[in-house]
Amino acid sequence: MEKYLRTPIKEIIGKNPQVGTILEEFGIGCVPCSVGTCLLADIVEIHNLSPEDEETLMSRIAAVVYPGRPVVLPEPARKRRAEPRKIAYSPPMKALVEEHLWIRRFIAMVPAILDRFDVLSEADRALMSEGVDFIRSYADRFHHAKEEDLLFACFDPGLDILKAMHEDHKMGRVHVQGVVEALARKDPEGVAANLTGYAGILTEHIRKEDGILYPWMDRNLSTRQVGELFSKFAAVNERLVDNRKKHEAFVVRLEEIFSEKLMEVKR
Amino acid sequence: MSGCPGSRTMTFSKDEDAGAVVGTAPSRLRQWPIQLHLVSPQAPYFQGADVVLAADCVAFAMGSFHEDYLKGKSLAIACPKLDSEQEAYLEKIRGLYEEAKINTLTVMIMQVPCCRGLLGLAVEALKASSRKVPVRYVVVGLRGEVLQEEWVEA
Repeated sequence: MEKYLRTPIKEIIGKNPQVGTILEEFGIGCVPCSVGTCLLADIVEIHNLSPEDEETLMSRIAAVVYPGRPVVLPEPARKRRAEPRKIAYSPPMKALVEEHLWIRRFIAMVPAILDRFDVLSEADRALMSEGVDFIRSYADRFHHAKEEDLLFACFDPGLDILKAMHEDHKMGRVHVQGVVEALARKDPEGVAANLTGYAGILTEHIRKEDGILYPWMDRNLSTRQVGELFSKFAAVNERLVDNRKKHEAFVVRLEEIFSEKLMEVKR
Repeated sequence: MSGCPGSRTMTFSKDEDAGAVVGTAPSRLRQWPIQLHLVSPQAPYFQGADVVLAADCVAFAMGSFHEDYLKGKSLAIACPKLDSEQEAYLEKIRGLYEEAKINTLTVMIMQVPCCRGLLGLAVEALKASSRKVPVRYVVVGLRGEVLQEEWVEA
């Protein structure tokens, strides 16, 4: 079993797709991950399972990778009961989660925006450009800059989970560039495909960060680091306060324009 | 060196790892005084520090207090039940946030209900403060076990 604990998860799932299903049952969403280089041992550690759940998970995976063979399971990494599932973020982490809410509110409007988008309409193209500006200035420059430059810098850059998050950011940027280029050549399909692609990546990315990455980081940051991150985030907020207000107001405006349309699209 | 030794300001060591070994467990105390009425937000050991504000009983109940919570931090202690003139505490804690520009505050209280008052003071001072600081609290059981450890919702 030791061999599998040190194997990248994508490789394990590739050879044994059932492992992906088992992980899903324990709330571990590795299947759609775009990178998949995290080692099984690290995945189990990062998800903070109880010793009982960890044992059940490992025995079920062992039954898949070594069918019909007795396997010595590793000692659960955690001796004590896992903390309650209710997530209590530290203040800097809570601030990032609140920014995710704004990004999710924007993403929620994407189907409605695309449903009535007319690439020949100057007003629609201007609105789409504002959307791109929101993604680039708020989601990327403001929010992801805090993550990449300040939060992730507290951890070993070689960690697979961080590589996966960086990869999501990169893929998001590629899609946004795709929207810009499609807009320039007045290609509605290109705009739709790239904006939908961006929304899909970011939705999954935010789910991973809110549910798994941030709680794990909170468990590993020292009190000193939490305080320093809080101060550094406050400095970024102060520096970009006008931009932030502008972009949050944009999301509110989108919701006013598209809330009815969104209901139609959902129906 | 003048004045009352009970309230004279002293910083013992800046080296976090060099605890003074007395008996078998090293002391992690880096300063004097520690009582909240006696400390000043202007004291050098509070500037930019991670501060523990502990109820008087905490360090007696928790055997690992020095190693697990005090190490690397500055300290103030108070009893929210018996201490007098607690309005001064409010201003002093606010002074820690605003003047000393502390990095974090960890409020450690016992599980008894009257101890909640100390956390209440820290939160009230935070609301009144122009500078925000991450505040967390640790609730300690009568046998020294940690019952709860959370960040305060600002």
